[in-house]
Amino acid sequence: MGMTKDQLLAIKDETLKKQPASWIRVGYSTCGVAAGAKEVYEVLCEEIKARNLTLEIKKCGCVGLCSAEPLVEVNVEGAPRVFYGKVNKEIAHKIMDEHVSQKKLVDGHIYDI
Amino acid sequence: MKRILIQDTNGELKKVLREFSVSFKSQLQDRGLSGQAQVVVVSDIGVYNKGIVAKILPEGFIYINLDNAHIADIIEKTVLKGEKIDAIALDKKNKQLRIVLRNCGIIDPESIEDYIAVNGYQGIARALELGPEKVIEDMKKSGLRGRGGAGFPTWLKWNLARNVKADEKFIICNGDEGDPGAYMDRSVLEGDPHSVIEGLMIGGLATGATRGFFYIRAEYPLAIQRIQKAIDVAYSKGLLGKNILGSNFNFDVEIRLGAGAFVCGEETALIASIEGLRGYPRPRPPFPTTKGLWGKPTVINNVETLANVSYVLFKGGEEFGKIGTEGSKGTKVFALTGKVRNSGLVEVPMGISLREIVFDIGGGVLDNRKIKAIQTGGPSGGVIPEHFFDTPVEYETLQKLGSIMGSGGMIVMDENDCMVDISKFYLGFCVDESCGKCAPCRIGGMEMLLLLKKIAQGKGVAEDLTKLSEIAEAMQKASLCGLGQTAPNPVISTLKYFMDEYKAHVFDKKCPSAKCASLVTYSINKEECTGCGMCSRVCPVIAITGSRQDKYAIDKVKCISCGQCFEVCKFKSVVRQ
Repeated sequence: MGMTKDQLLAIKDETLKKQPASWIRVGYSTCGVAAGAKEVYEVLCEEIKARNLTLEIKKCGCVGLCSAEPLVEVNVEGAPRVFYGKVNKEIAHKIMDEHVSQKKLVDGHIYDI
Repeated sequence: MKRILIQDTNGELKKVLREFSVSFKSQLQDRGLSGQAQVVVVSDIGVYNKGIVAKILPEGFIYINLDNAHIADIIEKTVLKGEKIDAIALDKKNKQLRIVLRNCGIIDPESIEDYIAVNGYQGIARALELGPEKVIEDMKKSGLRGRGGAGFPTWLKWNLARNVKADEKFIICNGDEGDPGAYMDRSVLEGDPHSVIEGLMIGGLATGATRGFFYIRAEYPLAIQRIQKAIDVAYSKGLLGKNILGSNFNFDVEIRLGAGAFVCGEETALIASIEGLRGYPRPRPPFPTTKGLWGKPTVINNVETLANVSYVLFKGGEEFGKIGTEGSKGTKVFALTGKVRNSGLVEVPMGISLREIVFDIGGGVLDNRKIKAIQTGGPSGGVIPEHFFDTPVEYETLQKLGSIMGSGGMIVMDENDCMVDISKFYLGFCVDESCGKCAPCRIGGMEMLLLLKKIAQGKGVAEDLTKLSEIAEAMQKASLCGLGQTAPNPVISTLKYFMDEYKAHVFDKKCPSAKCASLVTYSINKEECTGCGMCSRVCPVIAITGSRQDKYAIDKVKCISCGQCFEVCKFKSVVRQ
């Protein structure tokens, strides 16, 4: 049942086509998890469900800025793509309230390096 | 909508910054622009010691050394017209280059589709079209050298194994990352597991190995879990197993766990560990490429090397060879830790200077203290003092300075770090981790550690310093494996660059950085003491007593010189000598 190179490229095209316009990525390596990424991820998931949003949320690896974990990267239409660092439950709620819903960047937690 | 990001700051500027952002907001409001621009205070823009710093989105202009007088101009030109104001602008170049970490934090490591979408498994597809000889040729063109520390050319290692005739060959991914402060490999295994599996497959194809092993230390549970999941899903998609991508290439992969012994990162000890034996190194030659796992030719590559391999084969060796310097190609990932502002992983092209890594990317030293040195290469590496920071990062240049590239740990040290203490720490690590098989490492390490402890206690004599050098040399020459041969490196390099600190300990019985507890005494200056009692509250051994009226005093007999009173006193009335 081996795959051929053409099938490989077909998977690539299909995945790229499916890529959503709005998404959230949570740093979910050991550094992120140790800093509390699990809790943040759960809050974000609940909020997305509660608000009935079409927003993809993904657990990703470490982008390298370990001192600012948990890191959440947000890209929604109508607002610039940014990293939020040292995110906790409250900030996660704020991100959903202000950034995702009102397209306003959240004060005091952006890491733009 | 425009966004004005203003970088938050500590200290004196804090108040000025608040006024600046309030004033910016009100001026926007006065001109009826509140709906078109948002002012946000952010944690970090990555520009330091340049006063108030702001970044305007979506243009991405960075403005520095701002004050309230600039606001009107910024609104007029940048917010309304999108023009750049050159007089206050800073051109910030991104000094990082991501090859190994290309997908980390971008893709979902547990989704093979995500990896395929970023051209995953196209490296092995190309390798299968090229065939083993041409893959090795391509690797030669790339100039990729082992990222585990020693820097042996990867193509050469593969070619050695390829040219040995045997009924079975193996390839191993060395994920036994153990240097204190280094965690690059863990991040790659966790963040982009498929890229390492793909690199292992390509290595298997090139060398003729049909079985691959991941040797990962058991302390990395998440890495193990993600690699296992990636292997399983690759099998289910037919990317591992028989007839990969419609070719006649078969390749199987499995994980073996390391129990946490540092020496098992050494290739012969690692092989013994996989075989189920005690993790003891053995003399080389024969090298594993001729006689390795179960007596068969075996190639061992580091995690970062393999993550590079999948990139090289996708992009082509020539393309990869354009990055870096003559002798050191590509990029290197460093785990930047210690007294640095932004600790974390950085990936830089070879040839960049140490200063750029520490200051431009790392943001400099914490609390603006003076930098003393950096340590590279973990317990096998050395300490590089500040006056060599303009040295380009290459395998050979670091070696010339008495350190090594190593696996990529980079620890920043400031004026509060004592070099005797540092070498004591690293040597202590190697003494703990020495397997005890050969005498130079087992006895030499311990003897050196005892000498360093003696010096740190202020009991050292002049002779001890020469003894240290002598034992170090003997260990380097006579130890069986890399652990013992390189264990004295931190001591040798600190002796070379910071002899004055050793001498201060030995002759003046002083620790210039006030780190070695036996050589530091604390007392309270009653004139300056306000009687607040903070010192008394933090003292772990109740050596500080007194009252608001009588002020406080330290009982020198009880005091353990931990320095907590010194740290906590706001009025600088605790004196350290």
